[in-house]
Amino acid sequence: MTGDALPPPLDLSGLAPAMPVLSETLMVVAIALPLALAFGALVPAVRRVLPHLLVFVPLPALIAALAVPRGLSVLVAPDPFRFTLALDAPGALLLGGAALLWMTASAYAMAYLRKDPARPAFIVWWLLTMAGSFAVFLVADVASFYLAYALVSFSAYGLAAHDDTVEARRAGALYLALTVLGEALLIAAFVMLASGPADANPQIRDAVALLPASPWKTPILLLILLGFTLKMGLFPLHVWMPLAHSVAPVPGSAALSGIVVKAGVIGLLRFLPEGVPLPGWGALLCGAGLFTAYYGVAVGLTQRHPKRALAYSTVSQMGVVAAVIGAGIMNGTAGTFTIAAFYAANHMLLKGAMFLMVGVAMAASPRRALAAAAVAALLGLSLAGLPLSGGAMAKYAIKLIVPDGGAGVLLTLSAAGSTLLMARYALLVARSGTENQKTEGKEMQGRPPRGLVLPALALAVLALFAPFALFAEVTGVPVSAAFTAAALVKGFWPVGLGLGVAALLAWKGPRVPEVPAGDILHAAGFLSATGRTIMEGTVAADAVLRRWPVAALALLGVAVSLAATLTFAAMP
Amino acid sequence: MTGALLFGLAGAALVGCGVYGLLTASGALGRILGFNVLGGGVFLIFGAVARRGAAAGFSADPVPQALVITGIVVAFCATALAVALLVRLSTMEARAAPADAGEKET
Amino acid sequence: MSALLVLAVTAPLLGLVPLFLLGPRTGERAALAMLAVNLAVTAGIAEQVAQGGRAPGYFVGGFAPPLGVGLRADGFSAAMMLMAALVLLLTGLFAMTGPGDMTRKVKARGSAGRPATFFILLLSLACALNLAFLAQDLFTLYVALELLTFAAVPLVCLEGKAGQLSAALTYLLFALFGSVLYLLGVVLVYGLFGTLDIAHLAGLLAQGTGGATAAAALALMSAGLMAKAALFPLHLWLPPAHSGAPPAASAVLSAVVIKAPLFLLVRLWSDLAPLPLTQVAGPIFAVCGAAAIVFCGVVALAQERLKLLIAYSTAAQIGYLCLMFPLAASDDGQWSALAWTGGTLHLVSHALSKAAMFLAAGLIAETMGHDRLSGLSGVGRLAPVSVAAFGLGGLSLMGLPPSGGFVAKVMLLTSALQQGSWWIATVVLAGGLLAGGYVLRVVVIALQHPDAGLPEARECRWRALIALALAFGAMLVGFMPLAPLPFLDIGRPLSWEGLLP
Repeated sequence: MTGDALPPPLDLSGLAPAMPVLSETLMVVAIALPLALAFGALVPAVRRVLPHLLVFVPLPALIAALAVPRGLSVLVAPDPFRFTLALDAPGALLLGGAALLWMTASAYAMAYLRKDPARPAFIVWWLLTMAGSFAVFLVADVASFYLAYALVSFSAYGLAAHDDTVEARRAGALYLALTVLGEALLIAAFVMLASGPADANPQIRDAVALLPASPWKTPILLLILLGFTLKMGLFPLHVWMPLAHSVAPVPGSAALSGIVVKAGVIGLLRFLPEGVPLPGWGALLCGAGLFTAYYGVAVGLTQRHPKRALAYSTVSQMGVVAAVIGAGIMNGTAGTFTIAAFYAANHMLLKGAMFLMVGVAMAASPRRALAAAAVAALLGLSLAGLPLSGGAMAKYAIKLIVPDGGAGVLLTLSAAGSTLLMARYALLVARSGTENQKTEGKEMQGRPPRGLVLPALALAVLALFAPFALFAEVTGVPVSAAFTAAALVKGFWPVGLGLGVAALLAWKGPRVPEVPAGDILHAAGFLSATGRTIMEGTVAADAVLRRWPVAALALLGVAVSLAATLTFAAMP
Repeated sequence: MTGALLFGLAGAALVGCGVYGLLTASGALGRILGFNVLGGGVFLIFGAVARRGAAAGFSADPVPQALVITGIVVAFCATALAVALLVRLSTMEARAAPADAGEKET
Repeated sequence: MSALLVLAVTAPLLGLVPLFLLGPRTGERAALAMLAVNLAVTAGIAEQVAQGGRAPGYFVGGFAPPLGVGLRADGFSAAMMLMAALVLLLTGLFAMTGPGDMTRKVKARGSAGRPATFFILLLSLACALNLAFLAQDLFTLYVALELLTFAAVPLVCLEGKAGQLSAALTYLLFALFGSVLYLLGVVLVYGLFGTLDIAHLAGLLAQGTGGATAAAALALMSAGLMAKAALFPLHLWLPPAHSGAPPAASAVLSAVVIKAPLFLLVRLWSDLAPLPLTQVAGPIFAVCGAAAIVFCGVVALAQERLKLLIAYSTAAQIGYLCLMFPLAASDDGQWSALAWTGGTLHLVSHALSKAAMFLAAGLIAETMGHDRLSGLSGVGRLAPVSVAAFGLGGLSLMGLPPSGGFVAKVMLLTSALQQGSWWIATVVLAGGLLAGGYVLRVVVIALQHPDAGLPEARECRWRALIALALAFGAMLVGFMPLAPLPFLDIGRPLSWEGLLP
């Protein structure tokens, strides 16, 4: 069961002769369309129609995800650039999920930001992030991957910092700093990785195939894990995520938490060798992932705002994905990456829908917010893996990779934690309705705008049912396998446990103070103090160095030391 | 002691003086003078080098002389430019000082 | 023999004549036309180099070296000349008196209200730069360097403010100190070998003659060039000089003027000095370069004024070229060639992006009336094109794709890692982080909501578009393939073979 064998769901084999051209066009257009529209926004006429057009922009990507044959790679720019696009099973899963989320969130965003004067700027960042996210799932060569990764990472800043509050500025600055750091880690890894093959810009697949034999295997793997888990928000590199994801406007949060973090997932999937056992590295990643899965739940439970609770849930869920990938590469299990991508795509849709529901509830009266909370609870239970929901299929799939050993039990138990956190989230959503909706007309009072409700519900339905459609193809196991009594019981007990604990906590829970978002960052305040001291020291040193006698002496010193070195070292 | 050696040593001494002046002079004028002394020393050494060509059998090596003359012209231009800047700066400071001594532009 | 070479040196000087004879407006147009001719001539030279596959040469007055003065353009010179001519032409256009400039009272005009003076200096710079890139003997190079300094110093103090004058004076004096040291080195070389022609000297030095005197001469010349290039720790004059000048002048100073001494440093150590000596000296330059990247990068982060920030960034970015020395001087042909290409591409892309950033900063300061970072929030709304030019230029400094800086960084990184120079690789990465810090700091502030009311001004759009064009140029360099560029190796090692009768 390899990723390439997986057939595309939309069978266009009737168009066989035209297929290569069609596929190429689809993949290129998927990336080029949002990019072109982002630049087109410079033209006022384009700027005016963009809000109406936005929903359809992800369409080529969706069709590409459904119809392009797996494993087909297209060389868009010939030698020596070798800009290549390709679609494999993990890429297709994430691309399709991202396209769906982008479409619904676009419609939602246009309604959400209807009165925001800065909406045009948001649309530009939105399109750029979209282009980057599609590109990162599609490109197949190392240099283009770096470009796409940088595009999605840096553009996402515009979404996070859109509201420009004090917290948003702080979160945005931290996000940018860590993004720049991540880029530096990755470029070092890529340069080392790319030195294996003869090409200067090799295909990722060729470069990774040579990785196990590379003399720099350890530094490459270390840098890749650091760089991509930074984006996924694995402990202790998660500090930016709750901050950045909670300050963005609601659709922005959905895109950030749903899609942008998946750039880290696809990075791991692309740059770790599949099918080659790497026991040490796998155990490391698996352990870090498991710890993060619990840590995210623990801190998330103390949060008082649903968006922050969701952001911590993303931290926790990315921990689960990392644990699955880690377990897979520990044993070199084939098919790991497709299943990890399946789980990630499931999370993508669910988390997107859950964020959108927060916005719906916030625009609703307390009574109507209860309805939103009910949908939210349903989504949350699916994320936790309640049997008969789409999320249960994803949970079932990852069990195929992580056997019932120590890691397997821990992973199963983390679903209980997830349930707990999701219960907390649903509770917070239920409380976030507001009474005074004075801005709306009288008949609209307390009723969230249709532009918010419809996309959110559509995405919720998709998120709940899409996994069923893909399960059999992804795992090679019939859907019915997940409906046997044993599987149902096995799937239910963690959720039941979580619900039980949630009920217990709701009945007689301890009052826990809210852990500030970014948790350990606050403990690391001395870092910024050290940084400031270094900076001040350097500026003072610079003032000394730039005084004339010092600089003149330095000039003489340079001349003398050069002469001395040359004389003694080179002249016999 | 040959003439060339004497000139060479004198040049070296001038170079030393010039460098010392450039390092220690507190004002721009002192540095300009230091530069000129240093430059003079370098030209003197160049002259001594030309003389050594004569020692090798030529009546005299004309190339360094041409180069020294060019160098002197360049050094002269540099001095003129530096002095012009200095004069301009000091007139401005003299004009600004009585008006508002506190608000000195940097 | 290629007459284009001598035309490259003389044509800019011919452009001076109309500036003196005709009025300022006509003279300005004529000067711009001459800068365009200069670009065409350099493009022609580059074409000759690429087509012929060897370096064209010219003997002034028909006297062949070692007695006569020879000009010669190898691939490296041609690339530098092309870059310099392009930047000079675009900054000239930026500083041009435009429609509306006569009626509007614009203080921070590109040329600071003295177009004639500015263009005289610009043309002199073109002449001096071309001479520095083409000359093949050490004394002509000295003259070219002095010409360059004499044209650059007045650029610093075009507006005649006290701060500018003192910055210019410091610049001039330190540059003179450097050039005297260089001259002393030249004198020692002449005393040793009786010739100043680089090709001849390279042959003589390669035989191992010269001993300690040759070492001292090389050291003196290098130190002088480092002073003129403001390489750390000799950067005292650069920040005040580059940040105080009017925008067009800053752009030229930071983008091309400091590149000439750097170019000569490369020429000295890759063409003149024998390889074993370069392998000894290389690490010293690399240490200076690394210190520049880290130290000046941190200082740039701490700056509160936009132009000072960019000036310190220049002082930091000079370091990248110096990291190239030990990498390019290794015995391993493949990776040294890659480092060589990477260093050169960094020079070119830095020139384009830094010019774009200084011009953009000038427009931002003109729009807001100041360039204090704390007061620039929201300037993205008033000057969107300028901010875009600044950001795109900054992309190259940060080494993010697609930009020339990215390609150069990847090449230097690859070469460093392949040769086991982990510390150089670390410095390259750290430099990218610091650049990311100071560039993004500005961009983030510009994109914020304005803290206070914005002034009623708007950016001068056509000038901003010129800055943007330069930034796009730096991005275009990023589409270079990630492989050694054969063009840069044309005509190396230096020799007059085939040109001498």
